[in-house]
Amino acid sequence: MSDSSSTSAIRRPAWAIGSGWVLAFMCAIAGWRLFGLLPAYRTSHDILQPPGGAYWLGTNDIGQDVLVGLLRGLPNTILVPVVVAAATLLISGCLAALAATRGGFVQALILRTVEVLQVLPSMFVLLLLSAWMRPGFPGVVILLTLTSWHDDIRVLRAIFLREMTRESLHYARVNGAGWAYCFRRHLLPSMWPAVMAIYVQNVRGGIMKVAGLGFLGIIDPRLTNWGGMMQDGLAYLYGPAWLWLLLPPALALSLFIGVLILAGQNLEERSLANPTSPR
Amino acid sequence: MLTEGAWVVQVHISGNRQYRRFLRSLIDRLVVFMGLIILTFLLPRSMPGDPLELLFSSDITRGITAAEVDALRIQYGLDGTLAEQFIRYLSALSRGNLGFSFHHAAPVSDLLMGAVPWTLLLIVGALPLYLPGGLAFGIEAGRRPHSLRDRMITGCIIIVASIPPFAAAVFLLLAFGVIWPIFPVGGGEPLFPPSTWPERIPEIARHAVLPTVALAFHEFARFFFLARGEAISLSARPFITNARARGVGGWPLLVHYYGRSILPMALARLGDSIATLFGAVFFVEVVFSYPGVGSLIYTAMLERDYVLLQGAMLGMAVIVLTMNWILDALASQLASRG
Repeated sequence: MSDSSSTSAIRRPAWAIGSGWVLAFMCAIAGWRLFGLLPAYRTSHDILQPPGGAYWLGTNDIGQDVLVGLLRGLPNTILVPVVVAAATLLISGCLAALAATRGGFVQALILRTVEVLQVLPSMFVLLLLSAWMRPGFPGVVILLTLTSWHDDIRVLRAIFLREMTRESLHYARVNGAGWAYCFRRHLLPSMWPAVMAIYVQNVRGGIMKVAGLGFLGIIDPRLTNWGGMMQDGLAYLYGPAWLWLLLPPALALSLFIGVLILAGQNLEERSLANPTSPR
Repeated sequence: MLTEGAWVVQVHISGNRQYRRFLRSLIDRLVVFMGLIILTFLLPRSMPGDPLELLFSSDITRGITAAEVDALRIQYGLDGTLAEQFIRYLSALSRGNLGFSFHHAAPVSDLLMGAVPWTLLLIVGALPLYLPGGLAFGIEAGRRPHSLRDRMITGCIIIVASIPPFAAAVFLLLAFGVIWPIFPVGGGEPLFPPSTWPERIPEIARHAVLPTVALAFHEFARFFFLARGEAISLSARPFITNARARGVGGWPLLVHYYGRSILPMALARLGDSIATLFGAVFFVEVVFSYPGVGSLIYTAMLERDYVLLQGAMLGMAVIVLTMNWILDALASQLASRG
């Protein structure tokens, strides 16, 4: 498995570059979060300065450095969906496994709940709760997780059921392998590409939601976010200031989402092309 | 005779199953709606502090007396036990009473009635843009996967898909409203709309162009990827190979062979799509200051007009749930026909 992934990464430089890039940014974010190496996002008298020597990406209408805002917004825009997608994957994975292995009443209960929740326009609930609570970082994570944990249970259950029918798994079971071993060595490796594809897709959806909440201004205003930065720039469409107020956050958002789409497609193709998976 | 009888029985059984499915999905939606009602009931009451103070914590309600506060408490059903309050809340809702907005000095239901047509106009207007467009491009790209044409189209669509809906709206506004001002930058019609319908309709259409395109933008990519994936797997099917060998190509192949096979699947996704559209319409309406429900809810959020916020959310939920219920039923009807 690891062999096939490394060759495909070499054969697909875009994928390797993309994932390396994301990883590098993750490390950078973690570094900044932990050590507070980022300069303060402070206001100054230099309002609406165009990009230049002192401010590489210019300043906004209250004299804050756009570049600093962009960097400070990075964890709030990217890290939130990364954490949320991991949490939802964990929850939906466990429930999917439960539904697939238990069957009967448990399965019926889980699937019926998911069916009902899928009808719910989760964006409304998100907006409503967010408008009431104006959540900060942990609040946004909890709200997003609460409104999206059910999305992938059906897909994951289908993948689980498919993988459970593998002959290699039956063979291992007959030979006395425990479930933990089977899960680690048989189920997880063959499910991995599909699960990662779902994960990447969820991160992408999460970025759009978080940026959207920021754009509407219904999260804690201290939480600098690329969507919120775009909202700030909206008042300066007439004049040159939109060039450095709107473009940097918009490009950063699109670049991240674009890379995630490419990575997701790649993973999806790999999970389909995986010669060992019966599909 | 016998075979005909068997056929009738079969149709009857499948009709019955359809009916039960229909009913079941109705129950789902009722459960969800009940959940939303409970949520909007509990939210203001579970916040720290007095819900009444929270509901009316604004400048215009500062100078009210204690007697007025008590009157308001009774008027808003905030006296008595939680169970009593809930029953009163339900009975008010069932009479179509969604509350009264102080900021707009009007009942919430009236405000909603004025805003819903605008939002529906955008959503219904976006549909003919993204559905055929996304499907056509998707089939075209998926017909020969990894060909030059596929890579070019897919590349463009990935760029389109990576722009969040609100960013797309902002840049459309910037490009065609400010830099090259061929479309109005906001509103649903001019400040002083023409009095006669024949003059009014073109104005409304002109104002709706940019918001509709912005709304269609994102769903376009969704249906493109759906159609492309389906087309790739269809291309390997014998009936397509056969058709190609017989010399069927171009438009007929696209419409009659690929299109017909993909349509039920696309319709099945349309129900989901409606819910996403109602989410995206918020951002579009905010950017274009369009007079729909999205803007109404947005101003309610900014002014902390929670009565309006909740009423409008419930109203929107009814519309979304009804629309995707109908679409689901249509899709399952089509799918069962094969």
